[in-house]
Amino acid sequence: MTTYTFQSDARQRYQTSKRGQTVHVDGQSHSVRTLDANSFMTQVNGCLTRIRGVADGDNIHLHINGRACAVLRIDPTRASAASASESGGSSAAPMPGVVINWLVQPGCSVKAGDALLVIESMKLQMTIEAPQSGKLVDLPFAAGQTFQRGAVLARVVAEEVAA
Amino acid sequence: MIIKKLFIANRAEIALRIVRTAKRMGITTVVPWHARDHHGPALLVADEAVELQGEPPVSAWLDGQALIAAAIASGCDAIHPGYGFLSENATFARDVVRAGLIFVGPPAEVIQLMGDKITARQFATRCGVPVTPSADEADSPETFAERAAAIGFPLLIKGSAGGGGKGMQIVHNESTLAQCIATARAESLRYFGDGRLLAERFVEQPRHIEVQVFGDSHGQVIHLGERECSIQRRFQKLIEETPAPSLTPEFRQRICDAAVRLAREAGYVNAGTVECIVSPSGEFFFLEMNTRLQVEHPVTEMVTGLDLVEWQLRVAQGEELPMRQSDIRWHGSAIECRILAEDADAGFVPDTGKVLLLNEPQGPGVRFDCGITQGAAVTADFDSMLAKLVVHGATRDLAISRLRQALAETVMLGVTINADFLGRVLAHPAFQSGETDTGFLERHKADLQPADWTEDERRALVAVAAALGRETHKNTISEPYASMGAWRN
Repeated sequence: MTTYTFQSDARQRYQTSKRGQTVHVDGQSHSVRTLDANSFMTQVNGCLTRIRGVADGDNIHLHINGRACAVLRIDPTRASAASASESGGSSAAPMPGVVINWLVQPGCSVKAGDALLVIESMKLQMTIEAPQSGKLVDLPFAAGQTFQRGAVLARVVAEEVAA
Repeated sequence: MIIKKLFIANRAEIALRIVRTAKRMGITTVVPWHARDHHGPALLVADEAVELQGEPPVSAWLDGQALIAAAIASGCDAIHPGYGFLSENATFARDVVRAGLIFVGPPAEVIQLMGDKITARQFATRCGVPVTPSADEADSPETFAERAAAIGFPLLIKGSAGGGGKGMQIVHNESTLAQCIATARAESLRYFGDGRLLAERFVEQPRHIEVQVFGDSHGQVIHLGERECSIQRRFQKLIEETPAPSLTPEFRQRICDAAVRLAREAGYVNAGTVECIVSPSGEFFFLEMNTRLQVEHPVTEMVTGLDLVEWQLRVAQGEELPMRQSDIRWHGSAIECRILAEDADAGFVPDTGKVLLLNEPQGPGVRFDCGITQGAAVTADFDSMLAKLVVHGATRDLAISRLRQALAETVMLGVTINADFLGRVLAHPAFQSGETDTGFLERHKADLQPADWTEDERRALVAVAAALGRETHKNTISEPYASMGAWRN
C-alpha cells in the first residue's frame, strides 16, 4: 500500500496497491499498460489515454492530454517526522513494528531529514528521519526490539537547546 | 568575400538554427559554451565549440571583445550575433568589422540610428512613416510632464534607450503621471543605465504588426510580408503569426511599403523588422525597428519557403538578394508559440528545474526549434524561452488545429512550461476568429484558467505514478533488506 497526493492539492490522498499491470487506486482497479520506461496507457473517462511520466525521487512528474502535473509519493516516515517536529523533536512510530538497525549512533549531530534508523512494520521497511536538526540524544529501541504504534523511536534536541 | 567559418555569438535554439543553415551552405561553424551552459543542442551539431568565461554566465555572451577574440582564435571570418545579447549593439558590430571579420547584420551606423527610439522616430517621420504623438524629455526636461499631459491620456511613458517592455508605464490620468514618470525613470536607469524618458499616445487595443524587410549592399530593399504578434504578456510576445488575421490587402500593402521606404532611406542591409502598432480604427504607427533576425522569423520562412539565415549569410558575403520583390510568394498560414519555463497560471512566474523527460512534437507542417536537451538544467542564468513551436497550414484554421495538437505532444517534465496555457489561448473563440490585440490575455484571463482535473483523470494519474514509483523510490535501507525491496510478501 503506497499513498500518493497531488502537489497542487495535498489534502486529498490516494491509496494504491499494484499487482502486475493492475493498479488499485482507492479500491478501483486500473489497467496500466507500459509502452516504455516513461509512457503508459490507461483508461481515462472511457478513453484509452497515453500518460507520460518520470520520477524524481518521490516526486512523479506526469503528462496527460497536453497537461503536466506532479504527484507526490508520501513516505509514511516523512509524515511521522513532520508530525514529530511539531511534538518537539521526537520521531513517533507510525505503526507497530520492529527496529532493524540504527544508521546513526546516539550523541551524534544530525540534520533534519537525515536517516536515523530502519524499522519494519507490517512487512514494510521504512527509514525514520530526523524531525529537526540538532543532537540525537536517544534511540530508545535497539535492533530487534519491538515497539507499539506511537512509541518514540528517536529524540533529537536542537543544538542551541542542548548547549 | 566568402564566409568559410562562422562564429555564432549566441546559444540555445537560435545557435542551433544558424548552425544548421551554415552547415548546409558548406560553412564551418563554431559555437560558444559555458561551464554553466554546456547542454545546448548546437554543441552537438556545430563543428567546433569554444568555452567562454564569465560570472554571471550571461556576461560571457555580452563580452564583445572576448567573443571577437574567440572568433579570431578559432579561425572564423564572420560573426552571426543571432538575436538578443549583442545583436543590436552598434559598438560590437563596429568592433567586429574593425577586427577584420564580417558582421552578419546591418552596418553599425544603421544599428545606432534605429537603436535610439528618439532618433528612430524622428527618422521615421522624415520618411513619411507615421508615429504616435509624443513628447521627448530631452527637448525640455522642465516641461516634460506638462507636454506629456498635453498629448492626452492614456499615455505610455518609456525609457528612450529601452526595449523588451522594461521601464514602461501606462498612465491613465494626470493624477498618477508624476509617480509613473518616477517609476519609469528608476526602471530605465536600472535596466539600461539611461534615465531619459519618452511619452507617447497609448493606443488602446492595438494590434502589434511588424514587417520583415531585407536589404543588400547593392541598394535593393524588399519585404517578406508582415507578422502579427499581438498575443503578449508583460509587453513580451508569446504567439506570432503570418499573415495577420483580418488585414485587408490594401492595408497590408500600405504597411509593407512604409517599412520598405524606411529601410531603404536608412541604407538598410541584411534582415530587419519594422514594428508597428495598429489601432482598431485602422491607423498604424511606427514603433521601432529591430536591426537583426527576430525570434519569430520562422513563421515568415514557413509561408515563403525561404531560409532567412541563408539570405543573411549571402547578403553578408556581399551577394545581391536572391529574389526580387515580385518573385516572393506567400502560401497558407503559419503560427509560432514560444515555449517558456514559466507558470502561466500563477502570473507567468519563471520556473527552473531539470528537464527530466523531453518529447518534441512532430507531424505535417510542424517545426520545433528547441534550445534544450533532455537532462539539461533550466536555470535563472538565461532567458526562460526553451523552444519555439512553429506550424504551417494551408489555412489559419488548419494551422491552429495542428498547433494545438503539437502543443499537446510537447513534453518537458521537470520544469513548468506554458504549453498547456498556449493551447487554451489557441482554443479560445476570440483567438480563432482573429480578434487579437495586445490586451487579449488580460481581457480573457478568466476564460484561460485551467479546468480542474476530473476524479477519473486524477485516479489514472495516480495509477501511473504507482506504476512508475516503485523502481525509482530511493532506498536508504542497508543490505540485505534493500535488495529485497519494500514489499516482502
